[in-house]
Amino acid sequence: MAAVALLLAPVAARASMSGGFDRLLDSVVRIDVRELNFEEGVRRIDASIGSGVILSQDGLILTNAHVAGPKSVEINVTLSNLERVGARLVGWDHWTDLSLLRINLDDAKRRGLAFKHAEFGDSDKLYVGETVYAVGTPHGLTRTVTRGIISNNNRYFEDTEGVDGYETGNFNTWLQTDAAINPGNSGGPLVTEDGRIVGITSRAYLGANNLGFAIPSTTAKRIVDGLVRDGSITRSYVGIVPKALQDLEGFYDVATNTGMLIDSVEVDSPAAAAGLRAGDIVLAIDGRKVDGRFPEQLPPIENLIASQPVGSQLELTYKRAGAESTATLLTAKLESRMGEEWVSDAWGIGLRKVSRAFARENQLSDDTGALVIGVQQGFPADVAGLQRGDIVTKINQVPVDSLDVVRAVDAAYSAKPGPTLFEVQRERRVSLIVLKP
Amino acid sequence: MRASDLTALWSERVKCTVAVEYVTQTELERRPTIAYGTVVDSAGTIILPSAAIDLRISPKQIKDFKVYLPGDPEGYPAQYLGRDAYTGWHFVRAGASILGRLVPVTAFAGSGPPREPELGELVWGIGLRNKDEDFTPYILQSHVALIQALPQQTAIAQQEVAGPGLPVFDQDGRFAGLGASSFGQTFLEFSGDDRGGAPIMLVNLEESSAFLVASEVLPYFGRIPKNVVGRPLSWLGAYGLEPMDREVAAFLKLQSQSGAVVSEVLEGSPAEKAGLKARDIILGVDGTPLPRFRPDRVVVDYVERLIAVRSPGDTMTLSVLRGADRIELKATLADEPRLVREADRTYFEKIGFTAREFVYGDAVARHARTSELDGVVAHLVKPNSPADIAGLRPDDWIKEIDGAEIPDFASAVEKLTEIEKDPTRAETVFLVSRGGDTAVLRIKLR
Repeated sequence: MAAVALLLAPVAARASMSGGFDRLLDSVVRIDVRELNFEEGVRRIDASIGSGVILSQDGLILTNAHVAGPKSVEINVTLSNLERVGARLVGWDHWTDLSLLRINLDDAKRRGLAFKHAEFGDSDKLYVGETVYAVGTPHGLTRTVTRGIISNNNRYFEDTEGVDGYETGNFNTWLQTDAAINPGNSGGPLVTEDGRIVGITSRAYLGANNLGFAIPSTTAKRIVDGLVRDGSITRSYVGIVPKALQDLEGFYDVATNTGMLIDSVEVDSPAAAAGLRAGDIVLAIDGRKVDGRFPEQLPPIENLIASQPVGSQLELTYKRAGAESTATLLTAKLESRMGEEWVSDAWGIGLRKVSRAFARENQLSDDTGALVIGVQQGFPADVAGLQRGDIVTKINQVPVDSLDVVRAVDAAYSAKPGPTLFEVQRERRVSLIVLKP
Repeated sequence: MRASDLTALWSERVKCTVAVEYVTQTELERRPTIAYGTVVDSAGTIILPSAAIDLRISPKQIKDFKVYLPGDPEGYPAQYLGRDAYTGWHFVRAGASILGRLVPVTAFAGSGPPREPELGELVWGIGLRNKDEDFTPYILQSHVALIQALPQQTAIAQQEVAGPGLPVFDQDGRFAGLGASSFGQTFLEFSGDDRGGAPIMLVNLEESSAFLVASEVLPYFGRIPKNVVGRPLSWLGAYGLEPMDREVAAFLKLQSQSGAVVSEVLEGSPAEKAGLKARDIILGVDGTPLPRFRPDRVVVDYVERLIAVRSPGDTMTLSVLRGADRIELKATLADEPRLVREADRTYFEKIGFTAREFVYGDAVARHARTSELDGVVAHLVKPNSPADIAGLRPDDWIKEIDGAEIPDFASAVEKLTEIEKDPTRAETVFLVSRGGDTAVLRIKLR
């Protein structure tokens, strides 16, 4: 009986998992975001709910890039004591799906609002099968805790349009967990029993059972430091699309666990300029041997390249047709495929500047032009026959090399409406279209 | 007109109509197709509308042409002569055994210049039932509702007047025109399966309410192609012509001038040699301004027909608007580079795909330089074959095989044949280009 009592006593006495876990619970917030979208050819405000975790007493909050980003016009945070306070974006990084916010401290101070912050754990030390907890706001259910294990601590996936049309996943692997992750969990922490953050839950397979993914804290810490310091993360770009070498070692005659296969070299990229070609095997980068046998080994290699300062020289040792050579690459700045967005209220058209990455992706001759992302029914752009997906290359015979060109013509049109000539590229066909008031 | 008169006219004129059946034979299937045609001369030459044969299919893959006479279940062997680029017609020749049972439509053209149909005029034409009804002929009759230049003079009747490619006559039995293809009537039918009874749009492909008037077809019955591809094919190389509408013309101070915007000028083409540039607006040809059509889009067909009616070596003077300048350019048309449907192809059973010669049009489609036509195209990928499992897709451009560049089709065939012959071969590695990116594909053979 005594033994049973002894076993029962501490359980009965425990009102919580651990002090650290309580603290964590107090640092998780609900984030309400109002976002400005131009996709219908009109200014439209969309509301969404996500989660986040407070990282410091000066009010830094970590969340997902797909929860809050540059399009957010209003961010409100609900603290654990159910008080609401505004926040602003410090910076974001869609590649790792992370955003950093800061609570409006003046307001918090004036209202005497208190909050706690959580501490990072070490995601590198997680073992498969280790118990983890996800805390967040699934479907608006504030401060929901779900439990699971680490299902895989090195999962690879990348998605060219994964974060609201932005690329994601090239530079980090992900933690996979079976803790229930639902819409609204995004941006909340994945923690160990002691309440330390080992990941930021980001996504789950919809329609699957308990296949959730989180950004590891090792990656998150690095990004937080960069965003606090610079407000953004700058990466180097060389234009190599890698592929796992799996099963091709024999064909390329390289030892197992050696080298990374170049699947594609992007046009006009530093790698193309250095003469690299698809089918080359990268053996070493600046003397460091690389091993890209499996897909999950690719993001660290891509991250190694991306972490070099922009404009630095990178020496690649590679193998082609049995012979080894070296190539020196001059890295360029990594740019996103998504350009600046804007809407013309007068014409009823939403536009996004064509970026170099978008031009490359769509085999356009250069980055001149703005992509039509929305057309409002019955407005001049719609009446003239402009469609989503068209690229406006000239307005009144002036090349659209920035949205300023469009804004200037739009301003003149708003002041004195008159026929305006658009040159539009649809697939590869160029048409002229007149927009009339 | 008395019904008995019409019956008499009809029974005589049915003899200028036939159904034509041919087989499309690809690596994986054999598919019969039926089209309707009109006999145009005493040699048994038959014309089929442009849509009767898919232009993407190689002439080598269409075979076993047979002619069926209305009401006769027997198919008589015939020969495919090719397609004429200007009219778009496919020409077929009936065998000698049935010549006596055919009457050319020209027998009903009357003397003197062809008569233009009038609005409201009653016209009638011939339709043919399906194969299971022995292509039994029947009468269609309607009044002309509208005559429009599209760009050919086209009469549109109130109802269907003929099968596409079959003749239309006036009340005296005189040839009035040829049933237009791609002008099938659309109609709605309410779905019986769907509980909501959602309407489904159906297209009547077997009958047409529009016909090209006699003056647009009679002069061209003699354009029998010299070969199945219809070469020579005159070519300018101005890619993606787009109509200039009236509002754009007004904006550019061109009043009611018609025009066509050039989207791209192809590398090495007569247009490029003549100095034509992308985004130039063609306003006139050989000193004559382009006429305005309704809809504006028709002007593109008009320009393309001006090119097609000429021969390689002929010149064409283009009046062009470039920015604010008007320029005259003189282009000498050339014979069009080898077409996809002319490209050589070989099927590789073990790997499971058809390699096709990479031709000029392939380079254009891929934004590649047309002066270097290397590699081959994966024309067909057999489902669940090693090539399919490895991720090869139709239209992939195979640049390298086993790490070696492929300079041309012959070397690709040689290499692939060698690979397929070797029973010890475990894999082959392709480097393919797709949408500007490349991919390394490992095809497991064992």
